[in-house]
Amino acid sequence: MVLLAEEDKTLHVYAAVGIGVVCLVIGVPLWWKTTDVYRVSLPYSDIDQLAQYKIQYGVDVTVISFDEQMVDADLAALSKHLMDSLDRNPTPGDISSRYRTNVKEKTTQESSLLSSSTSVSDLDAKLNEVYKQDHNHYYVILLPQTSQLKVKAPVIGLNRNIFFTKEEKDIKQLADQIGQTLKEVVVRERSVLKAYEAAKGSRDQKPDKERMRTVRSHPGYDITFTLVNSQPDIIDAQWDIQHAVHAYLEPLTKRLKKYAAINVQSQVLYFTQMMTKPKTDKEKNEHYYTTKELPLIINPIEANLGSPASNNPELNFLVYVPTRDEHPLHIRDDTGMNLASNAFLSPRWGGIYICNIPSPPQNASLPVRPSIDMKKVMEIFLFQLRLLFNLLYQGSTSVDLIPVGNTVVAEWELDGWLRSHCVENLATATATLQSLAQLLGQISNIVINDDIGQEVQSAVQSIKESYQLLKEGFLEKAFLASREAIISSEKAFFDPSLLELLYFPEDQKFAIYIPLFLPISFPVFSSLFKAFKWFRETKGLTKAKQE
Amino acid sequence: MIFAILLSLSTSVLTVNTANPPVEEFFASNHTNNWAVLVDASRFWFNYRHVANVLSIYRSVKRLGIPDSHIILMVADDMACNPRNPRPATVFNNANQHINVYGDDVEVDYRGYEVTVENFIRVLTGRLSPSTPRSKRLLSDERSNILVYMTGHGGDGFLKFQDSEEISSVELADAFQQMWQKRRYHEIFFMIDTCQAESMFQKFYSPNILAVASSKVGEDSLSHHVDPAIGVYVIDRYTYYALEFLENVQPGSKKTMDQFFKVCPRIQCQSTVSVRTDLFQRDPKKTIITDFFGSVRNVELLTETLNLQDSTAELSCSKDKCPEDKPPKSGVQPLSYAKQFPMPN
Repeated sequence: MVLLAEEDKTLHVYAAVGIGVVCLVIGVPLWWKTTDVYRVSLPYSDIDQLAQYKIQYGVDVTVISFDEQMVDADLAALSKHLMDSLDRNPTPGDISSRYRTNVKEKTTQESSLLSSSTSVSDLDAKLNEVYKQDHNHYYVILLPQTSQLKVKAPVIGLNRNIFFTKEEKDIKQLADQIGQTLKEVVVRERSVLKAYEAAKGSRDQKPDKERMRTVRSHPGYDITFTLVNSQPDIIDAQWDIQHAVHAYLEPLTKRLKKYAAINVQSQVLYFTQMMTKPKTDKEKNEHYYTTKELPLIINPIEANLGSPASNNPELNFLVYVPTRDEHPLHIRDDTGMNLASNAFLSPRWGGIYICNIPSPPQNASLPVRPSIDMKKVMEIFLFQLRLLFNLLYQGSTSVDLIPVGNTVVAEWELDGWLRSHCVENLATATATLQSLAQLLGQISNIVINDDIGQEVQSAVQSIKESYQLLKEGFLEKAFLASREAIISSEKAFFDPSLLELLYFPEDQKFAIYIPLFLPISFPVFSSLFKAFKWFRETKGLTKAKQE
Repeated sequence: MIFAILLSLSTSVLTVNTANPPVEEFFASNHTNNWAVLVDASRFWFNYRHVANVLSIYRSVKRLGIPDSHIILMVADDMACNPRNPRPATVFNNANQHINVYGDDVEVDYRGYEVTVENFIRVLTGRLSPSTPRSKRLLSDERSNILVYMTGHGGDGFLKFQDSEEISSVELADAFQQMWQKRRYHEIFFMIDTCQAESMFQKFYSPNILAVASSKVGEDSLSHHVDPAIGVYVIDRYTYYALEFLENVQPGSKKTMDQFFKVCPRIQCQSTVSVRTDLFQRDPKKTIITDFFGSVRNVELLTETLNLQDSTAELSCSKDKCPEDKPPKSGVQPLSYAKQFPMPN
């Protein structure tokens, strides 16, 4: 009887141990595995490292001297002074420039180019053809004083040529002048720094106009041209916008095509008027807005503009045809003078041009359909577009720029655009990845998909690549890599799946698991404990028996 | 002084840039655009007043110049179409029924069961599915001022959404931090009208946020008056007096945020309006109210234009293919029928 009870107890104990083992060895890991949040491992250390990187951008400069008076010793001195000048006053902060200079004398081929050129811009075009000038490589041309092309102030061509004439004997002065022109105007170090700081998010100083106005770097932009016919029953103005876009805007969009997708749209709005009444000047019999009213007239009109389907930044350009009662309508500056252009700009938004069309004569059959001079319209809007894209140099260094005219953008301006956008993209993408890494590190509940992992990996890769390319001076490739980086990093950061499991806080986990696990775990653990005790007892017994 | 002389010297030697006189280097304000996120978090007929609150604020910001494309309006229930509404398709914020705040052009972006904590956080942080239309997105940048207005039923540290879930003050603070890190705002004005409203902004830690709440922790926010015709309260006290203030603000107004904070003293509100300014870098006394409630844009007069050469049609046509359908420049426009929808074969 005792023996049977003993056997029974052994069976009980082994059963308890068996269940306990199943629960602990299979159950717990299985539960752990199935409720685990799926997280792809991200290159956290790489992302941390990216923040430590210092951006360096390389620039190539070749100086070609056409000046016969400059002997080899002069050229060597020029080279030395130029290097000194370019390395002086580095921009503060994490970003620096690296110039590679090369000073040489003209070849016979080049001197024949000079003698055959009729003007500086002609020589500029010819040099571009001969050298097949690439991004980020600038040619400083020293014109002899004897040449008919000699220039008073530095002249920057439409391509990547800068023309100087040595006035004084002092080579150091010339080198300084070249250095300053390159840094301030051509490379625009200050703009690059501003773009970097804006993207980095340092907001300690008040942003200046350039920084406020410049549209942020984005893979695409939507440009909308709108004609506002306020009284189409009287004046139904017509515009040939399609032709104007083909003829005047396309040189710019074609140049930028490789770097940003630009969608151009146009529309005509009827019966839309300015909500703010203009002031009336009875003496001159005209109406006007001052800078006080202008900020308020945009919004009521903007409400009618509609919005594009994409999420790109929008740029709006409006031609407003005033009503008969408002005509003629002018914009007056702070001194009370009528503004010649009759147009204004709102930063990061676009521009408005008030197009005064003379009222129809008394006996005309209404509506009259005058057509708008699109050249004038585009002259205004393209200038505003150059401001918004920060292509225009507006500084205090005295230089002569060859007017861009119908090409709209000069090659060296495009380089500047690429450079500041590349730097901005790099800073933004790095900050985005850091923020994402910080968020994912903080909240362990966020699922990280394979997609996100992949995007982050490729963003890190592209950023590294872009840093390297920028340093070596391959500007275009660096920009394209930085664009890849920003697209990938934004995609990862804004991925909707990041929020899916967020609303499942830790404390609620306990609320769910305790009612489930407590009733099971209590008998399992207590019987395991009993079994353990029984083993010790039987061990003690057998030992006692042996003794 | 020396700098000024240098500046004038340097401008005098300009060759190209002499055309534009030394212009001011800065714009009037530091933001370029305004956004508003207006949230009513509660549903059911007896919460009529919350819908009226949010629609009234919507009407005000729109009147002051923020376009619909820059307003995200979240309304958890459709009072205008409620069968218990004796005057369908209207919502009034006053028993006198002067203004129908559910007017002709109300653009509700998220309505009914779309108003969830998740969607609200998604809008703020920008983590929306790619198919979300532009009008439902907060596409702000580092130069945007954002007004966030919330109303509903709240408690200490949370605001209830839809009677089924709630947003906690920590979640909201984290969402704002995410926005800051991704440079999605320049300044935020956070305004909340709910019970124990102050608790919602106590956890904020991101810079450049100005916040005002209708009541302190432990206090209830009360409704203003009942409309006997529909049998429910039509507006909350704080919003009522705030609107009274906003009605006197015109788009070019110079009223300041500090004046706005003095709205609804305890004697009117029966709760203490609470303000948080420590995260905000500017002085509320010098911050004008239209920095948040309106949209006063910066402008720059154009003193220069590009010189283009007349590009005739032939010139541009020779390179690319010609634009085929040019509208006639003047005279009678040809009439034509609208194109039919393609019919299935």
